Amino acid sequence: MIRPFPVRRVVTYCGLSIFYLCLLLPVVWLVLSSFRNSDSVQSGRLVPAWSDLTAQNYGQAFQISNFVTYMVNSCVIAFTVMILTVFLGSLGAYALSRFALKGKKLFMMAALLPQFFPYVLVLIPFYVLMSSLNLVDSHVGIILTHTSLTLPFALWMLTGYFDAIPKELDQAALIDGCSRLGVLFRILYPVAIPGLVVAGFFAFVVSWGDYLFVSILSQSNATQTLPIGLQTFMSSLEVQWGLITAGTVLAIVPTVIFFSIVQRRLVSGLTAGAVK
Amino acid sequence: MSAVTRLQRIGRESLGYLLIFPVLLVILGLNLYPTIQGILTSFTNQSLIDPGHSVYIGLENYFKLFKDPIFQISLRHSLELTFSAVVLQVLLGLIMAHLLIQEVPGIHLFRSIAMITWVLPIIASVVMFRFITLPNYGLINILLRDVGLSQLSRNWFGDEKTAFPLVLIMHLWRNVPFYAIAFMAAMQAIPADLYEAARIDGAGEWRQFWFITLPNLRYIMLVMVVLHVTFTFNNFDFVYLSTGGGPVTATEVLPTYIYKQAWNGYALGYASAGGVVMLVILVVLVLICNKLIKGLSEK
Repeated sequence: MIRPFPVRRVVTYCGLSIFYLCLLLPVVWLVLSSFRNSDSVQSGRLVPAWSDLTAQNYGQAFQISNFVTYMVNSCVIAFTVMILTVFLGSLGAYALSRFALKGKKLFMMAALLPQFFPYVLVLIPFYVLMSSLNLVDSHVGIILTHTSLTLPFALWMLTGYFDAIPKELDQAALIDGCSRLGVLFRILYPVAIPGLVVAGFFAFVVSWGDYLFVSILSQSNATQTLPIGLQTFMSSLEVQWGLITAGTVLAIVPTVIFFSIVQRRLVSGLTAGAVK
Repeated sequence: MSAVTRLQRIGRESLGYLLIFPVLLVILGLNLYPTIQGILTSFTNQSLIDPGHSVYIGLENYFKLFKDPIFQISLRHSLELTFSAVVLQVLLGLIMAHLLIQEVPGIHLFRSIAMITWVLPIIASVVMFRFITLPNYGLINILLRDVGLSQLSRNWFGDEKTAFPLVLIMHLWRNVPFYAIAFMAAMQAIPADLYEAARIDGAGEWRQFWFITLPNLRYIMLVMVVLHVTFTFNNFDFVYLSTGGGPVTATEVLPTYIYKQAWNGYALGYASAGGVVMLVILVVLVLICNKLIKGLSEK
């Protein structure tokens, strides 16, 4: 047991302050500025006067053309990707964990390999493939693409999770007359909720933040997502940083809320595969 | 095993094959197939104007690449960025992990918010960094002016000298906490009696770190380094969204250069060849990391 001496405590807090100042300052400055009126943002003052604080940037952000469309597209795509990833990933993980499949090892490797491939390379045939399937500029095309990015990690993580659940649980349920598919939904799902949530969170984060694939697979406002929208704002609204910061805050709020829910499980989820 | 029992087994496990089929389809169809297709495309003159018609041209794209000065600049930048980012991330990650593992009051709050920079969309991080580095009313320049160093203030992303270090800083900002949390988790798993024994043998804190902590972090370090060599080398968003590769070519990296060749220059075949070069370099880098860290373990 390490009992910190006062000196040690002081050093620890100093170190932590430096790290967290660097990490949080950009975020705090962004949020603060999103509540300042444009004169205040451009005044070059560090601390705004009380009277400079306003919520009007948020009202205006919603009125800028297409912001709401971007938000809706992002939500639809990210939530669908999340559900698809968790659902398909858990089916696959259940098969890998509980069935005697041939070529299991090979398949696990094949699933991991593409994680190392340059996205800019994959994007080119992807575009050609999607255009031959007539899926360019459609939600379905983007959802499929994002799912293909998130599924391998979910499969790996959930296989590890299911492997850690004792097989006696399934056997007891099978004897009680539960079907093999029933075992997944009634026995494994409830036990593996933390793993499912973390897998879903990753899928959400990847899909919500993706710029590269959407920038090519989306060709009109109907399918554009928040990252594209924010990039457009940044280049077209140049001086209206109050609006840009408000839009950015709105784009990070869902991630932050989701993060605060899963944060406890995140580390164990991340390292589950690595620590084995 | 006889043929009959083998068939019976396959029959019994058929549900398993059915369950894995969708994942298999997505991974083979949307991951492996496009990559193989991409490698094949690199030997053709495929163009975005008419992707349906392309001719096999052998290694011509590759010869062109190695004569392309901007490709060489991008390659150098990509390697410099990946190397410096990963080395600094490991060092800063170790320091931050060492701070986070101290059981001081309030440490749980620090641990719980650590990963926040990692989960934010990269576009949001870019907005933040562009906003704090604005020439006229960005936070950095305001602070510099307030402490009387306004001669240092500049348009940080627009300056050839500072744009590249800023890209590096964004990578550190996003990923160092992830390293710290992963290292911290691995440090907590090291049995306490190892340290106890070392103390009895008279080992100081530095020696304990060097001979107990570090060797026990080897595996997680390998995982993190491989993960981030890949992430940094492949990352497109940070550069493209913050500087677009500029000013001039000061921050151009392989992903942004290849992207522009494909989607602004319509040269899909040429861009694919660049992508294949990236793939080869990445495989070599991952093998080197593997060797280095394995070597560390035998020491």
